[in-house]
Amino acid sequence: MAGTSPSSTSSRPAVETRQLGRVYKSRKDVVVALQGIDLSVKQGELFGVLGPNGAGKTTLIKILVTLLLPTSGQAWVDGLDVVKDYRALRHRISMVSGGENAGYGLLRVREQLWLFSQLYGMSSAAARRRIDELLERLGLAEVGNRTIAGLSSGMRQKMSLVRGLMTDPRVIFLDEPTVALDVGAARDVRNEVRRWMGEDPTRTVILTTHYMQEADELCDRVAIVNRGEVIAHGTPQALKQQVDEDVIVDLQLEPGRPLLDALRAIEGVGAASAREEDGIDRFSLLLADDAVLPRVLTTVEGSGRRVTGLVRRQPTLEDAFVKLVGRSLHEEDSSGDGA
Amino acid sequence: MGLAIVRGWQGYWVAVRLGWAISSNWTRPFLFIVYSILRPISMALILAVMYTVITHNSAAARPYLAFLIIGTAFWSFIQEGVSEFATGILEDRGRYHMLKYTYLAPLGFPVFLVGRASSKLASASASVVIVLLVGTFALGLPINPLTIDYPLLVLACLLAFVAIMAFSITLSMVLLAGRDSHGYGEIMAQFLYLFSGAIFPISLLPGPLAWLASLSPLGYWLELCRRAILHGRVYEMFPQLSDGEVLARLVAAVAGTVVLGYFTYLLSDRMARRRGYIDMESSW
Repeated sequence: MAGTSPSSTSSRPAVETRQLGRVYKSRKDVVVALQGIDLSVKQGELFGVLGPNGAGKTTLIKILVTLLLPTSGQAWVDGLDVVKDYRALRHRISMVSGGENAGYGLLRVREQLWLFSQLYGMSSAAARRRIDELLERLGLAEVGNRTIAGLSSGMRQKMSLVRGLMTDPRVIFLDEPTVALDVGAARDVRNEVRRWMGEDPTRTVILTTHYMQEADELCDRVAIVNRGEVIAHGTPQALKQQVDEDVIVDLQLEPGRPLLDALRAIEGVGAASAREEDGIDRFSLLLADDAVLPRVLTTVEGSGRRVTGLVRRQPTLEDAFVKLVGRSLHEEDSSGDGA
Repeated sequence: MGLAIVRGWQGYWVAVRLGWAISSNWTRPFLFIVYSILRPISMALILAVMYTVITHNSAAARPYLAFLIIGTAFWSFIQEGVSEFATGILEDRGRYHMLKYTYLAPLGFPVFLVGRASSKLASASASVVIVLLVGTFALGLPINPLTIDYPLLVLACLLAFVAIMAFSITLSMVLLAGRDSHGYGEIMAQFLYLFSGAIFPISLLPGPLAWLASLSPLGYWLELCRRAILHGRVYEMFPQLSDGEVLARLVAAVAGTVVLGYFTYLLSDRMARRRGYIDMESSW
């Protein structure tokens, strides 16, 4: 069949890409958003795509959901070519993007969801049942008859998730679905995604997220994307093993002059990242062994900054990410110094 | 196939409901009704006053008054249809942030757009009736509901509906593939206003433009509407053509518009996906 993934149906990947690339050209600029992406996601997997801002995650999702054409390579979702078979593919997928205020504000929650169910060809009665069920599960049953304009952003986000799940797609693409949600709402979303997958073992989720803990908790496998390329993929456990032999230290310092580049320059410091929280600079350091720590402390002392906390801890997915990418998810992609 | 048609129809009606909900809920129902009635009346009266001043209300010019009023009345279908298509794209993209989701729905984006724009048919139809009533009772046009050729009128309007949808889908897809598309709907509607024979015969246009206008189905449609309502008592744009010949030209022009619209749709859709404009954020 033209445009169909070569894999047999039974072992067919939910998502497969071969040398997938995307270049944005303008009169002034050429931006390589994706290059040489080779991925294979199995049916029933919850697959995470991690990367800093501008890494190419959303571009990848946009190609896979047929919103954007690739400039090179090929991709298949549920065995269908995203370029040639895009019409048939749209029956089998859905997409939910986080961090946007999407919704026809004049409509009521149930009305909008029902409307979408009709655009997907669901029977009206089945759609109403499914909508009620999902609203109940996500704690939105009480606001089902409220207009969308009156919902909080968290409620809107959950409503978007209901829209994505209610049509029972073969593959759902969740682009930062918990961004800007409070802890409870984010937990509800994660629980529902897992429960939805549990209803049918062939359902597949492709998730992009900024939250490493979320990826670690939810994903069966993850791919780390940086500057348009997949630089590592595997289970969260396998990726964490890459930093298993490192000594991981969290340092808390009072604010002061920039120190990150100086710490990275110390022999034996594999990677370092920094973030500021509540007026305190927090550094995570991957050290080759315990002998590196005194050199780190000497450097800090030399900078005139005071240590307010020091903890040695177990490796996380974020540590693996920092080691692979060279910076944390929260840092901008530049050579400038951080905290 | 049958199921696909049923689902397509079901999706179309949902889009009609959405369009109606959005276009009628911007204010309180009372204000909406007042606005919907006053708008077409004021449009018709402005033209009628201009006409009266220019012609000194001479009896010889009465057929042209009928031409003007009927053209203006039915023009509301184009105005409402075309502008609603454009507004649908702009609103869904910039205001509701729903464009990518409706675009990706399996129903098919053109069906969704047609549904949203069809919601305006009710207000456009009301506008036609209001303007014709004003023409009859305030301006003395000899319109008699019992002598209207309804089969011809309905057939012409159905064909025109297809053509307007094709025009509008073409415009919408061009909007979809464009970066800055504010105002294009109104520009297109005004462009069609000049080229459709709504307020003056297309033969008054300069040569090449008159030829271009003769390819459009809108002039033939308005001609048939005028003939169906006031046969023999209205100025005719194509006096040398019989009703059947005008109808044949309308059918041919509609077919051409549909083919053109289809290929523009394919091209613009691909261009929008190549440029990555479908989920583009825009100001509202």
